[in-house]
Amino acid sequence: MKRTRLLLFFVLPFLGVVLIFLVLSSLDRRYNRLRIEELVGEQLHATAEILSVNISHLLSEKVSAEDIFALYAGEENIYYTALLDEKKEILAWISQFEGYLPLSLHSDSGKEAWIIESPAGRIYNVFTSFRDAEGRQYFLYLGYSLKSLEDMVRHSRNSFWVILGLILITGMFVFGGFYQLQKRYLDKEEEAEEQKKQKERFREISAFTSGVAHEIKNPLNSLSLLFELLRKQVPLDLKEDIALGKKEVRKIAGIIDQFSASLKPISLQRERIRLREIVSEAWESLPAVRQDNPVSLEVEIKGALVLLADRRLLVQALSNLLQNALEATGEGEIRLSAKAGKGGTTIWVRDSGTGISAQAAPRIFDPFYSGKKQGMGIGLYLTKKIIEAHGGEISFTSQPGRGTCFRIMIPGE
Amino acid sequence: MRTDMRLLLAVLLTLSIQPVSGQNRQNFYNVDAELKVSGAIEEIIMESRYAGSSPFLIVILKDKQTEQKYFIEIGPAWFFEYDAHKGEILTVVGSLRRPMGELPLLIARKVTFRGETLVMRDKYGFPSWRGGRGRGRGWRRGRRG
Repeated sequence: MKRTRLLLFFVLPFLGVVLIFLVLSSLDRRYNRLRIEELVGEQLHATAEILSVNISHLLSEKVSAEDIFALYAGEENIYYTALLDEKKEILAWISQFEGYLPLSLHSDSGKEAWIIESPAGRIYNVFTSFRDAEGRQYFLYLGYSLKSLEDMVRHSRNSFWVILGLILITGMFVFGGFYQLQKRYLDKEEEAEEQKKQKERFREISAFTSGVAHEIKNPLNSLSLLFELLRKQVPLDLKEDIALGKKEVRKIAGIIDQFSASLKPISLQRERIRLREIVSEAWESLPAVRQDNPVSLEVEIKGALVLLADRRLLVQALSNLLQNALEATGEGEIRLSAKAGKGGTTIWVRDSGTGISAQAAPRIFDPFYSGKKQGMGIGLYLTKKIIEAHGGEISFTSQPGRGTCFRIMIPGE
Repeated sequence: MRTDMRLLLAVLLTLSIQPVSGQNRQNFYNVDAELKVSGAIEEIIMESRYAGSSPFLIVILKDKQTEQKYFIEIGPAWFFEYDAHKGEILTVVGSLRRPMGELPLLIARKVTFRGETLVMRDKYGFPSWRGGRGRGRGWRRGRRG
C-alpha cells in the first residue's frame, strides 16, 4: 500500500466520522431549537391566556388599562406588552425599550404568533383576543425574549465546538498512532523485502561466481603445471621470468580460492584451542604484509584463554583483522587484547592507523566493498561471517586519522 | 404538566408585578404610521421622555411643504452628535402620533442633518442607542403624548 493510500485509509474514515458528527449535531441543534421555540410559544400562549383573564377581571372592576399595565411591568423576559380595544386601537402598553412596540397591524394582522429579530435578540410575538365580563373584545400583544433560548443555543454551539475539538484532537492522536504503527510495519516489510531481494541477488551472483571460479581453476592448474615444466626446460636466464609467471598464476588461483571461500556456507569444526596460539598463527601467516609494514604487535591476553572454535576459520578471521590493521597503520603498533567474561571471550584489535571514514563505516562488512586500492573487499565480510557462524558478534569504533578498534565477542561453551 | 407550568407562570407574574405610573398610549413607535418631514428647526427642547433615560433632544420643526409644525422626538441628546440651532434644516423619517390638543408628534427613525443621516431606530422602532444584546435594560414609559 502506498503512503498516500495509507494516509487516506486512515484520514478518510476519520473525516467521515467528523462529517457525520457535524451533520447529526447540526440536525439535532436545529430540531432542539424548533422544539424549544414551540414550547416557548405554548408557554407564551398560556401566559397570554392568564394575563387575559386577569386583565378582563380588572377591566370589569373598572380599573383603567394604563393602571392595569402599570401592575404588569417587571417581567424581564417580556420585552413589551400592549392592550388593544376591539378597533385595535392601543389602550395601554409597556416596553423595556424607549417607544419600542413593533406591532404592525398591516403586516402582522391575522397572525397569532411570529418571531422578529431585534438588536436585543429574537423576540417571540403573540397576539391574542379575549372578552371582558360585559362581552367587549380586547386584544393582547406580548413580546417575549428568546434570550434564554439563544443562550442555550449558544451554549450548545460552544459545547459542539468543544466536542468537535476533542474529537479532532483524539482522532489525530488515535489515527496518527495507527498510521505510525502501520507505517513502521510497512517500512519493516519493505526492508525485509529489500533484504530478500539482496539475498536472492547474492545467491545468483554466488552461483555464477562459483561456476566461473570452477571453470577458471582447471586451466589455471594446467597453466601452473606448464610453467613448472617450462622452468625445467628453458635456459637459465629465462627461469626467473617463468617463475614470476607461475607466481602470478598462483596469485590468480589464490584470489579465486578466496572468492570461492566467501561464497561457500561455513561449517564449523570446533575444538578447544588456546587463543594465544591462534593469534600467533594469524600473525605468522602475514609475512609479506609485515615486511611491507614494520609494525609491532603487542598481545595482552591474561592467562591461558581457551576457546571452543574452528581453529582454521578463527585464524583466518584474526588474520584478516591483523592484515587490515597492518595496512592501515604503516608504522607504529597494533594491540591485541582479550578477556574472558560471563558471556564468552572478547577480543579487541586496536591500531593507530588511518581509521575508517564516516562514509565507509556502514559498508565495511559488505562483500566486495573495499576502501583500499588493491583490496577485494572480502576480508571483513568473511571475518564477520566466521564470527557470526560461531554465534558471536563483531563491531568496531573508529576515529579517522587516529585508528580503529575491532571488538569480537565469541560466546563461551 | 402544562397546568403546572401555567400556575408557575401565574405565580411568577404575580411576584414580578411592580407598581409604575401610567403609560401614555401615544408615545410608541408605530411602524404603520411612518412619515417624512423636512423643514427648519423652530425650537429646541431638552426633556426627559422616558423614565430612567437621559434627556432627549426634541425639536419643533415646520414642514416646508405643508407648513405643519411637528413636535419631533429625536433621541437622547448624547446620541445625537450635533449641536443643532434654530433655523437649521432637518429631514426626519419617523412614526407619526397625534396626541389630542397638541402638535403632532413624530418619533424619529432617521434624521438627515447637515448632509449626514443618523439612524435613530431600526425599522421596527428599536432604539439605536440601546445597542445590541447584553446591554442594560429597564422598563420605559412615555411621558408626553
